[in-house]
Amino acid sequence: MSTDAFTPQRQAALRSEDPSAARAAAARRRARRPIGKYLLNTLAMLVTLFWIFPIYWMFLISVRPLTNAYSQHPSFLPKPFSLSNYSDVVNDPQFWNSLKNSAVVVFSAVVVAVVVGFLAAVAIARFRFRARRAMIVMVMIVQMIPLGSVIVPLYFIYTKIGLNENLLGLVIAYLALTLPFCVWTLRGFVAGVPVELEEAAMVDGCSRFGAFFRVILPLVVPGLVSTAIYTLIQGWNEFQLTNFMINQNDHFTVSLYLNNFLGVNRQIQYGDVMATAILMALPVVILFMLVQRKVASGLTAGAVKG
Amino acid sequence: MTSLENAPELPGRARRGRGSSKIRSGGVAPYLLISPAVLLVIGVLGVPVVELVVLSFQSWAKLNPFSNATSGSWTGFKNYTTQLTSGQFWTITLRTILLTAIMVAVSMLIGLLLALLMQRISAWARNIMTFGLILVWSIPTLVSTIVFGWMFNADFGVVNILLGMLPHDWFNSSVSGFGVIVGLVVWGAVPMITLMIYAGLTQVPKELTEAARVDGASTWQTFRNVVEPIIRPVVLIMTSLSVFWDFQVFTQIWVMLNNQPHEQFWTLGIWSYFEGIANYDYGTASTLATITMLILLVVTIPYLRQLIRIGDAK
Repeated sequence: MSTDAFTPQRQAALRSEDPSAARAAAARRRARRPIGKYLLNTLAMLVTLFWIFPIYWMFLISVRPLTNAYSQHPSFLPKPFSLSNYSDVVNDPQFWNSLKNSAVVVFSAVVVAVVVGFLAAVAIARFRFRARRAMIVMVMIVQMIPLGSVIVPLYFIYTKIGLNENLLGLVIAYLALTLPFCVWTLRGFVAGVPVELEEAAMVDGCSRFGAFFRVILPLVVPGLVSTAIYTLIQGWNEFQLTNFMINQNDHFTVSLYLNNFLGVNRQIQYGDVMATAILMALPVVILFMLVQRKVASGLTAGAVKG
Repeated sequence: MTSLENAPELPGRARRGRGSSKIRSGGVAPYLLISPAVLLVIGVLGVPVVELVVLSFQSWAKLNPFSNATSGSWTGFKNYTTQLTSGQFWTITLRTILLTAIMVAVSMLIGLLLALLMQRISAWARNIMTFGLILVWSIPTLVSTIVFGWMFNADFGVVNILLGMLPHDWFNSSVSGFGVIVGLVVWGAVPMITLMIYAGLTQVPKELTEAARVDGASTWQTFRNVVEPIIRPVVLIMTSLSVFWDFQVFTQIWVMLNNQPHEQFWTLGIWSYFEGIANYDYGTASTLATITMLILLVVTIPYLRQLIRIGDAK
């Protein structure tokens, strides 16, 4: 047997069955191909460094005085270190206002998307009804409507019904943009819960809806978390549509605030711009890190499982 | 998910297959459950799409946007014939298609290679790599566009400094300018693609690859015949989503070029936005958008069929 077959997962699987065999396999592998593994690990680290370099560069500009950003002989270390760029941003009430707007809009969108998406996923995964196939087609077709295309007509409609320049209008728009993916992902999760579990609950005296909420809901929490995160990232980062809908400063979301800031300060306050950008990305990065395992497995379970 | 259906083992499949016969036929319950989602999507996307198609048959060019006029004048297929016979339209359409093809191909290839790399490295290296990729994934497009714009700045960009070619304006020519934009899009797209494909790779039953090796299959044969069929659904979905996203790349071009991209950087999306916003020519903007949707629809019909099959499997 070639040692190539012993992927890390395989080693882990073996370890759980028979630790000595796993150790022996690992030892054999190490003995035979040590250099290959080192090379691959090194390659992986180089790729990672290369990939996060732009983020590191952004961080450097944000923590150094502006003159360093305009230097033609830049150093790659955060020296001299200063947080003055951050204090500029944090002392701007407009920044906090836009942060509040974003938080309100995105939080509402996430809550509604998870609830509405779960209900629709239960319908598609658990019932056979006449319009079911049409629903699946709709969920998919929506993914291919170019956002840029619907902006003008949506703007017309919003103007007619007074949702323009309105945070509620943004919530509704973000919902429609993210729901199809949420329904599709959650569908995979609901389908993965054995029907027998629900039936057992119903035999034990649960109503059908009781069974949905008491049996399915707890089992699809990873799916709910990943759809919530997906909606959060989409909403938090949405720029194109929001840029069209919102013009007044006090309705700005963080992405509009940043873009406006950039428009005013281009070539002037790059440190401030980068500090704003980092502050804008920070909440999403932290949340993402907190739930990343669930998200990665959740997204795939929805997409990979039939 | 036909490939997995045909996979020899995976006992969970069989159990779920039996469960599917117990799926209820429903009554009004499924309609009640699904109606909020459907109403939202129809309201925000369905109605505008209909309106969009209607607008594409009208001329708005001469109307003052602040007048109270509620419609343009009907012009039939005039907008379409104007576009389909103009050289500018074909240049921009072909440019958009070419750009999309390059972005999707490069990001899928790198994503696949990195996923295969992740599978073969030590656990600590994999954790670090995952962390880096997720960091990149969660950076908003607007932010990464600003950073790339600054890194490629003509006078102070770190890339020019490292390459020793100061000052050099990357956006002087559309080829090098689009090179930077492709780099930016690929940079942002690779993390999600890599992590999704890697997660797909972990679903490949080890017994299968093992058996293939025992039977003397080469690395390439194992990948082609054992691994590839199982990760095909996730690769398919990521490719199709990439086509949608990359065809509509907007922020990266718009912001990179100071909210005023020169005509040599226009794609269908940018052009449509320009006509709608700068020229208040909603007829032309809607026509371009409708054509964009038709192109995407044609390109993705196979994807749609595959997804219906996955959804119907239950």
